[in-house]
Amino acid sequence: MIRPHSFIYHIFIFVLAQIAWLVLLGIWIYRYVSNYIIFSKVDDRLSAQILSEGRNVFILVGGLILLVMVSLAMSLLFHRLIMQFNLTRLYDNFIANITHELKSPLASIQLSLETLSLHKLPRSQQQEFISMMLRDSCRLNYLINSILEIPAIEHKKIAHNYRIFQIEPLIHELILEAREQFNLSGDRIRIEGGASCECVIDRDAFRIVLNNLIDNSIKYTTGPVHIVLTLNRFAKRFTLDFSDQGIGIPVEDQKRVFEKFFRIHDQNSPNVKGTGLGLYWVREIIRYHGGKISITSKGRGKGTTFHIELPLYPISKKRHIRNLLKIARKRQDKDSFDGQ
Amino acid sequence: MDSEKGSRILLVEDEESLAVGLEYNLTSEGYEVTRAGDGRQALEILKKQTFDLIVLDVMLPYNDGFEVAEIIREDSPQLPILMLTARTASRDRIHGLEAGADDYLTKPFHLKELLLRIQGMLKRSQWYQELSRENPVFRFGKNEVNFENLICTNGRQKFRLTAHEAIILKYLIHHKGKIVSRKELLEKVWNVRSDVETRTIDNFIARLRKYFEPVPKKPIYFKSVRAAGYLFSDQ
Repeated sequence: MIRPHSFIYHIFIFVLAQIAWLVLLGIWIYRYVSNYIIFSKVDDRLSAQILSEGRNVFILVGGLILLVMVSLAMSLLFHRLIMQFNLTRLYDNFIANITHELKSPLASIQLSLETLSLHKLPRSQQQEFISMMLRDSCRLNYLINSILEIPAIEHKKIAHNYRIFQIEPLIHELILEAREQFNLSGDRIRIEGGASCECVIDRDAFRIVLNNLIDNSIKYTTGPVHIVLTLNRFAKRFTLDFSDQGIGIPVEDQKRVFEKFFRIHDQNSPNVKGTGLGLYWVREIIRYHGGKISITSKGRGKGTTFHIELPLYPISKKRHIRNLLKIARKRQDKDSFDGQ
Repeated sequence: MDSEKGSRILLVEDEESLAVGLEYNLTSEGYEVTRAGDGRQALEILKKQTFDLIVLDVMLPYNDGFEVAEIIREDSPQLPILMLTARTASRDRIHGLEAGADDYLTKPFHLKELLLRIQGMLKRSQWYQELSRENPVFRFGKNEVNFENLICTNGRQKFRLTAHEAIILKYLIHHKGKIVSRKELLEKVWNVRSDVETRTIDNFIARLRKYFEPVPKKPIYFKSVRAAGYLFSDQ
């Protein structure tokens, strides 16, 4: 039995509708042809009165065009409908995930508060519960900010402070910050290769990119995480390969992981936390920078590599880069004007 | 200490801080608590140890709570499962109960409510086990119910009751010849307030009739008493 919300169900309905149209078209042509034959058999005198060849051909062609147009309109309608269904399903997933993500720390804070009010705990245990509450409230704050920043992403406002950076020292700097934030020791994350070149980058937005990728690697690695960043410079582009040894991403999901709200539901996944927004953000930020991101994974348990490409300054994508710097200048002027 | 104190509870929760808080409170109440951080670990622990109750989160890494409940039900139809989840949609609740959960508590919850529910579930489970030990097999008409493995025959086919269906049936059999109100069933079997929708009870009774009555629309064993409740008769 086909489920009413499944993709196959919509295809099935669409095919049925198309068959209905074709049958209608067939009946119409058959009727026209049979009428024509009947009329041809009637006396020439009568047929001359009844038939007007030119007009009939016009009606046939007109009717056919109309049917083809209706058919195309229906295809378009179903295409949009399927897109809408997919979006609704993803949105439902997002609501389910975000509900879990928001309510879990809230439940934990409530439980800790009730525990503290019901029991007379020794000082050390009190401190433990207070620390847990603080951690949970930080998590809640991060999540709420993530949700509030969705419109900023949509309106390309997340990245605006574009500047020209020597890319290699910048990545070393950002990874150093990430080491502290994620508590990663030296061998857990390392940088290989080199790229002596300049790129136009919003430092804060690029930090979001790296932090999201690192956070993903930590979430989807069963043992201790090992991340390698490989830097390369080519004629017109800078490349960064971000590789981990996590659980990998199935081939069929590799393109979809960058979609908004998309999450992989896998029995082998060591983690269920997340909103389905992280990699969407990553892709959008890279796009704003005039770059692109792709993903490769050799299969389950064999890790994942994110391949990021950015245009070199001032060689590549000159117009786009000029626009980015213009946005930054405008923003600076606005900020200094507001400051005054 | 009550008889259910000292009961062994498996706590399956991937949220570290929530698990720590729950473990502390359950231990303070006198229960023996074992913690599992994901569905796979929970199933591994269950292979090696026995428990009196499981507190099970739904969104878990590897096997989720629904899968864990279904797997548990295959071997342990009587083990009480309390599902703990952030999901509030009624379809999730139904899914949980169908997967084999006995009760369902949504996050965030009140600690006292959680403890009361656990206490109620353990009491019911003990009551059920004691009665089942005395009379593991009950026959009425062409029907035969084994309250230990929950396998039944009705003269036409063999099937298995869910833990909840078995407890309701057991309760009605235990009070045979007496009218049992919906309120009483909700309070004693579900351990919930009677202002909760009573249609749930009617659905369960309809299922029991479908299983055991020769003609479900004309019940002879599970009779309705207008404005009063239900009456079980094995005659």
